[in-house]
Amino acid sequence: MLRVRLRRAERDGAADPRAMPVRQGAVPPRFARAAAAARFTGGVGQVLDLPGPEGRVLLIGAGAPRHATGWEAAGGRAAAAALACGARRLALDARGLPPAAAAALAAGACLRAWRPDRWRTRTEEAPLAALDLLVDDPAATAPFWARAEAAARGCLLARDLTAEPGNRLTTREFAARLEALSEHGIAVDVLGRKRLARAGCGALLAVGRAAAHPPRLAVLRWRGSFAAPPVAFIGKGITFDTGGLSLKPAEGMEAMRGDMAGAAACAGAMLALALRRSPAPAVAVLALAENAIGADAYRPGDVLATLSGRTVEVVDTDAEGRLVLADALHYARTRFAPAAMLDLATLTGAAVTALGHHRAALFGTDAALLAQVAAAGEAVGEPVWPLPIGARHREDLASDIADLRQCATGRLLPDACHAAAFLREFAGGVPWAHLDIAGAARRAEEEPLGPKGPSGFGARLLDALMAMYFEDPDRH
Amino acid sequence: MPDIAFVKPALPRSGALVLPLPEAAEGAAWNDNLRRAADEATGGAVSRALEAAAFKGRKGQSCTIWAPGAGLSRVVAIGLGKPGEVTPEGAEAAGGAIAPLIVQEREALVAAEGLPPALAAGLALGLTLRAWRFDRYRTQEKEEDKPKLERVAIATADTAAAKAAWMPMRAAADGVALARELVAEPPNVLGPEEMAERCRGLEKHGVEVEVLGPKEMRKLGFGALLGVAQGSAREPRVVVMRWNGASGNGKGRRGRPVAFIGKGVTFDTGGISIKPAQGMEEMKYDMAGAGAVVGLMAALAGRRARVDAVGMVGLVENMPSGTAQRPGDVVKTYSGQTVEVINTDAEGRLVLADLLWYCQERFEPRFMVDLATLTGAIIISLGHEHAGLFSNDDELAQRIEAAGRAVGEACWRMPLGEAYDKQLKSDIADMKNVGGRPGGSITAAQFLQRFVNTKKGPMPWAHLDIAGTAWAQKDLPLAPKGPTGFGVRLLDRLVAEHYEG
Repeated sequence: MLRVRLRRAERDGAADPRAMPVRQGAVPPRFARAAAAARFTGGVGQVLDLPGPEGRVLLIGAGAPRHATGWEAAGGRAAAAALACGARRLALDARGLPPAAAAALAAGACLRAWRPDRWRTRTEEAPLAALDLLVDDPAATAPFWARAEAAARGCLLARDLTAEPGNRLTTREFAARLEALSEHGIAVDVLGRKRLARAGCGALLAVGRAAAHPPRLAVLRWRGSFAAPPVAFIGKGITFDTGGLSLKPAEGMEAMRGDMAGAAACAGAMLALALRRSPAPAVAVLALAENAIGADAYRPGDVLATLSGRTVEVVDTDAEGRLVLADALHYARTRFAPAAMLDLATLTGAAVTALGHHRAALFGTDAALLAQVAAAGEAVGEPVWPLPIGARHREDLASDIADLRQCATGRLLPDACHAAAFLREFAGGVPWAHLDIAGAARRAEEEPLGPKGPSGFGARLLDALMAMYFEDPDRH
Repeated sequence: MPDIAFVKPALPRSGALVLPLPEAAEGAAWNDNLRRAADEATGGAVSRALEAAAFKGRKGQSCTIWAPGAGLSRVVAIGLGKPGEVTPEGAEAAGGAIAPLIVQEREALVAAEGLPPALAAGLALGLTLRAWRFDRYRTQEKEEDKPKLERVAIATADTAAAKAAWMPMRAAADGVALARELVAEPPNVLGPEEMAERCRGLEKHGVEVEVLGPKEMRKLGFGALLGVAQGSAREPRVVVMRWNGASGNGKGRRGRPVAFIGKGVTFDTGGISIKPAQGMEEMKYDMAGAGAVVGLMAALAGRRARVDAVGMVGLVENMPSGTAQRPGDVVKTYSGQTVEVINTDAEGRLVLADLLWYCQERFEPRFMVDLATLTGAIIISLGHEHAGLFSNDDELAQRIEAAGRAVGEACWRMPLGEAYDKQLKSDIADMKNVGGRPGGSITAAQFLQRFVNTKKGPMPWAHLDIAGTAWAQKDLPLAPKGPTGFGVRLLDRLVAEHYEG
C-alpha cells in the first residue's frame, strides 16, 4: 500500500504533483481561466492536468459528494491521474475538508494505486509509492485515517491473495499467509487432513482429494474486548478450480486462480478489525482446497457425508464451492455458536448473469441481517442486491439417493438460487447471509477504486458491517 | 371451462360432492351441514372413509371416496388448514386442487357453506383456472380420457354476495384463459395477422381496437420493429386496444390512461443469430407478454373496470432468411435513437422500443407497464417462481409487487443503474441491442429505459420480464403444465387497487 503521511503542507522543494479535489462549480480562482478553457467544472470524473511554474497540479472533479464514497472515488481518480503522469509520490490536498473526507480521499487513492506486480521482474515505470495527505490539522485527522487505513489494508490483503496464481498460493501457502496474521493479535488455527478426517469434514476432503496440495480449514479468531457470541465469516477458498472431472473449458480457466476471493475477503476483514482494534469478537472459518482432476478425484454421482451428517449427492464436481462451505458453515455454527454467519464465495456464474460485476448477490434467512449487509455495502461502495430462495429452488435439490443434491441439471438454471438453497440447509437457525461475489470479486475494467482485476470485494463491507451494527456491547 | 353457479346448500342426487374441510379445532364453528347430510344419506360411509384415509383437513390434503351411496359417484374432501385462517390464496389453491379430481364428472357440487361468500367465489376461481385445458388439436383422444366437467355448483349461504364477488373474478379468469390460449396456439396457426384478428374479438366487449400494418408503421418510422419483422414472410402488426371505462359507460375518455405494452413475437427462431434446435419449439410462447396484455384488456372490459386503459402489442415473427436483418445492422427507432443490432435474437427489446415511445407520445399515460418474455438471463437469475421487475418508480414497483403477492404472481425487484447502462455503448450507433452476458436481464431493461424518458422527465414505468413465469414446466396449483397467463391477474389487481374511480 502507499506510504501515507499526514502533513500540513507540501514538502519543501518537492516536485511531486499535487492533486486537488474540486467540488462541482468550485474551481479555485487562480485556476479559473485554465479550467474554463478546458471546460473543467469539477464534475464527477473530470480531471485537469495543469503543469505550471509552481509544479504540476491535478484538479480532480469531485461533483457534490454526499457520502464518504464520493470522496473515495475522487481520491482514486487522483491516484489514477498521478499514475498516468508517472509520479512516484503524490501530494493530495485535503485542506479545507472535514477530517472524514480527507481520510476517505487517502483511502481511495491507496485502493486505486494498488497493483498486482509481485511477479513482475521488469517494470518499465516506477510505481506510485507514497502519498502526502495535506490537511489543516493532522492530529484531528489521524483517528479517521487510522480507521480508513485499516479497512483499506484489509481490502488490499484480499486483493493480494486473490491476485496470486494457483501455483504460488497453494492451500499450504494460503494457510501460512493466514498464520502470519497472528502478529496482529489474530489467533489462527489450521486444521489439516487428519483433523478434518477426525472431525468428519467429508465434503471439504472430497473436493480437495485429487490435488497434490491438501485441503485445509483455517480458523481465525479476533477476541475483541467484550464477551459476546462472535460474528462468523465463512469463506470459500478454492486456490485453483479446474472444475474437477466436470472440467471447465480451457478458455478463461486462468481466472480460476481467483476462486478463493471469498476466503481472502474474510481474511481481509479480520485484518481490518485487528488493525483498528475492533471491540467486537469475530471469527473466520475458511475452507481451503484445490479442485483438481486426478486418479482419485471425487466424481459426479458420488455421495458425500458432510460434517453435519447430512449426505449430499454430487452432480457436478465444478459446483465444489457449496460443498466446502457446507462443512465450514456447520463447523462455524457448532464450534462458535455465532450471533450471525456471513459467507462469501465466488460461487456461481449465474450470479454474474444475474447482476454482472457491479453488485454481489445477497441471500439469507434473516431480514434484519440482510438489511444491515445491504446498508454496509452501500456505505463502502460495495453494493449488493437481494435474490430469492424460493420453495422450488429447494425442491429442485431433491436427490434420489441422498439427503440432497448438490445442484440441479438442465438448461437456464437459477444456480445462484440453488446454491443458496443448498447452503441454507447448513446454516441451522443462526441468522445467516450469503454473498455470491462471483461477479463482484473481479473488476472487468478499471474503476476509481481499483484497476482491472481483483476488487477485494467484501473485506470493507464486513468491516463496515461490524462497525455499524456489532460493536455496541449492549446491542440486542 | 365449466360453468359456475352459486346455489343454496342442498345435497345433490348424483354426480360429485366436494367437501372443503378445515382441520378439526376445539370450539371452532364450521358450517358442515352438507357433510353431515351426506354422512347420514350414506349411512356414515363418508366419515368412516375419511377416518380410514387419515384425512385431517390439512392444507393440501385430499381424499376421494368412490360411490359411497345416495346416488353420488364420488365424494372429494379437500383440506383447508386451520379454520379461521383460510386466506383468499388458500381458497384459490383449494379450488385448484379440486379441479383435477372432478374433471371426469359432468356435474359437481362444492359444499362451501362454511366459507365466507368471497372465499367461496375464490375457490371457484381457483377451480376454473386449474380446469383450463387446451385440446383444440387433439383428434384421437379416447372418450373416457376427455374431461367432462360442465357445471360446478358452489353451495353457499349467501348466493347473492358470492355472485357479486365472482363477477370480477370470472372476468379475470376469462382474461387468463384468453392469454393462455393465445400462447398455446402453435406458431403456424397464430402469426401476427391472426393474433391481431383475435384482438379484434375484444370489440364485442366494448374495447376499441386499432390495427397498424407495415404501411402505417413505415410511415410512422417504426424502424426497430420493422427490422425484426423483415425476415419473415408474415407481415407484422401493432394492435392498439383501448378500454374507456373511467366514465362508467365504456364510451367517453377522461384524463390520462394507464398503459400496458406487450412483446408479441409469435415465433422466435432467433433470426440470423439462430437458436439451437433443442427447445426451439418453446419459442411459440415468445408472445406471452402480448397475450397477457390482450387477456388483461378482456378482463378489464369484462368487469367494466372504471378506468381508461390502453393496451398495445407489437406482433412480429423473427425469422432468418435472405431478407432478414443481420448482426451489425443499424436501425433507427421511432424515437429517433439508433441501435446497432449485435444479436438478432435480442429482438424483443427492439419491438418494445418503438411501442414504448409511441405509447407515451400518443397517450401520455399515467404510467407504462411492459410485459415480455425478454431474457433467458432472468430464468438464470430467479428461476420460475418470480418474474423480474424493473422500474424507475418505487411506488409503482411496490404496488406491482403487492398485487403480484395477492394473486400468486410473484415479482422480484431487480436493479437498474448507470454502470449497467454503459454496457450498451456502441461504436457506431447510439446503443447496442445487447450488453453481454453479465447482468443480461438488467442491460435489457436499461435498453428499454432509454425509450421511456419523455420531454417532461421520466414517466413512471415498470418492466416485467416473464420469461421464467409465462410457461409452467409442470402443473402448478392454478395452472396445468403449459401457458400460465402470468400478468393478467396481477395487472387487473393493480388497476383495481389503485387506478379506478
